[in-house]
Amino acid sequence: MAGMAAADLMEAEVLRRIGPDPAAEFDLFLPRLHSFQYTHNTAYRVFCRDAGCGETVTSWRQIPCLPQAAFKYADLRSFPAEETVKTFRTSGTTGEGYGQHHFRSLTIYEAAVRAGWRHASLPSGPFLVIAPHPEEAPFSSLSHMLATLAKKEDFIAPGGTIDLHRLRDLSGPVCLLGTALGFLQVIESLGTNRIVLPAGSTAMETGGYKGSGRAIARPRLYTLLGEKLGLAPEDMINEYGMTELSSQFYARGPRGLHYGPPWTRAVVVDPVTLEEVGEGETGILLIYDGANVGSVVGIRTQDLAVKRGDAFALLGRDPSALPRGCSRAADEWLTS
Amino acid sequence: MADLMNTAERAEAIAGAAEVFPALLGPTSARDLLAWVAAELGDACALDRWFDHGTARTKALAPGLILHVVSGNTPHAALQSLTGGLLLGSRNLVKLPGTGLGAVDQFLARLPAELRARVEVSVELPAAWLAAADAVVVYGSEQTVAALRARVLPGKTFLGHGHKSSLGVIWHDPLFESCLGAARDASLFDQQGCLSPQVFYVREAQPGSARAYAEKLAAAMDQFSGTHPRGPLAIEEKAAIANLRAAYRFRAAGDLRVALWEGGAHLDWTVIYEEDAWFTASPLNRVVFVKPLPPDLAGAMGPAVDYVGAVGLWPCTEELADRFAALGPSRFCPIGNMQDPSWTWHNGGVARLASLVKWVDFEPSSGLTV
Repeated sequence: MAGMAAADLMEAEVLRRIGPDPAAEFDLFLPRLHSFQYTHNTAYRVFCRDAGCGETVTSWRQIPCLPQAAFKYADLRSFPAEETVKTFRTSGTTGEGYGQHHFRSLTIYEAAVRAGWRHASLPSGPFLVIAPHPEEAPFSSLSHMLATLAKKEDFIAPGGTIDLHRLRDLSGPVCLLGTALGFLQVIESLGTNRIVLPAGSTAMETGGYKGSGRAIARPRLYTLLGEKLGLAPEDMINEYGMTELSSQFYARGPRGLHYGPPWTRAVVVDPVTLEEVGEGETGILLIYDGANVGSVVGIRTQDLAVKRGDAFALLGRDPSALPRGCSRAADEWLTS
Repeated sequence: MADLMNTAERAEAIAGAAEVFPALLGPTSARDLLAWVAAELGDACALDRWFDHGTARTKALAPGLILHVVSGNTPHAALQSLTGGLLLGSRNLVKLPGTGLGAVDQFLARLPAELRARVEVSVELPAAWLAAADAVVVYGSEQTVAALRARVLPGKTFLGHGHKSSLGVIWHDPLFESCLGAARDASLFDQQGCLSPQVFYVREAQPGSARAYAEKLAAAMDQFSGTHPRGPLAIEEKAAIANLRAAYRFRAAGDLRVALWEGGAHLDWTVIYEEDAWFTASPLNRVVFVKPLPPDLAGAMGPAVDYVGAVGLWPCTEELADRFAALGPSRFCPIGNMQDPSWTWHNGGVARLASLVKWVDFEPSSGLTV
């Protein structure tokens, strides 16, 4: 089958490019990935045509970015549905359904996780994970990502109960991986106690507080983690990722900028014109992900960010924005 | 403190200050304000003198000190709440949002010195204010209301007004006569008020009625926008609207159950038709949904059913109001008048003056000797 052969070839090429030493020239490769997806992904092709974009683009900047929410409503596979080996789901809010990201192969996803981790110069372990294992959360891309880095026995919060004993009596530095909510639970379950982790330990936190009705700013979380676990500010890392992507962006310290691996591009644009904003200006975040082979290369996220060179400072959905009146708006449903 | 002004005099003074805010406060003559007192307290002079109450006589006692906490930065709630407090003759502490509110300053500047002296304004909330107040009125998010409720001593009066979502129901309108009014309701104050409709449910006399209504509403939104442009948007507001439009544009391209009308290159207004009846909260700023009216509207509201402010009706009949009683709004009104509540409106389902006052009764001598 010609389609299958094309997918195999494309996957092999991406794997080679995002390998241990990422090859350059993604500027030229991303347009080719777009052409591949345009040919093999009907929903994407319709979207591109509506956006006035054809099969061929001369620059990756011409690739239209699909709204993140589209994953809720369309089958965005660049391969036949029967070849699907894995589907990750977004958490979704009540009544809205969830988004689905289908994979023909997890090899690229996992290679991107590992290579991206190395590229960000993050520790190679040992790890302790404060998040559900994929066996508990089979549709969670985050759980799969964490299980790609850590072993099953490293997951210390089975059933949502954190085994604090695993944090004590460590013989050497450890790298904690988990959701921000998970770390908040660690802080709370410690009460007035603290556990000083061995020097050189690190923590990588990710994900929001969706559905929990809580949120604390990153600097505050890092201050608390510093107090409770003895972690230094620069040894705490935030991961920005989402179900709709295959790659991750990392920021170091309470106010660090997010950087992606070489096969990604992050562009901050004006929400109306979609033109890139100037340095230091705020806009919505577009992500191009060269590892998103089986879905779509360009995603228009729902997050706000400030442009800082090739990196970005994440503002998120700005949950702190003051409501102007007494109208209960869409945002308020997300935090309650 | 000696009460030099009576209720009628205070009403007169407040009406004078309110007359520069016709859009914000609606008709506010001294007569309107006294009618409000009479409706809630049984007599327009209930605060000034004894009046008959069953076999006894009674008089209303206003709280000495009312604390008004207003967390959103539109002036409606602040002006309405303060008006009530001044009308009662109470002293008023007003906590405004951090940016302050120009309209409140303007209103205060127009009050006679004697009333002006009864108001203190701050953008902070001094702890002493909470302790000193006899009654606390809060307008804000659920979290804000809950946080303040927890800080008020049990014996004190507490009125919490959380954020609300409003909606409209078009029961029968074959000629689309309600569209201009619906556009006005959804456009005024850029949908920031608790009376601003976010979704219009259209009963489908025939398949496609709701979609047809959405198209007419879009034209009406455009017309209204031409004469009443929306206010400036913050970047997060722009992003929320642009992202929603992008998502619905994507859906509309491949799904006939969804349609999108976008006004102007500057996010002027947005109308979204969606067959799915589930209540979708708007990102506000003139983004409105039109959906077919489902058999069980309260069910389709989902968790939003606990937060319904007003329900606009067309036609507006008591029969329809009874039919939609399960939505639990504090107001049914005609579409086109959703932004024009009267002073007597039971905002949040409570009598705003009556719930602040206490009563003292006087029982005259029966003439009998023991």
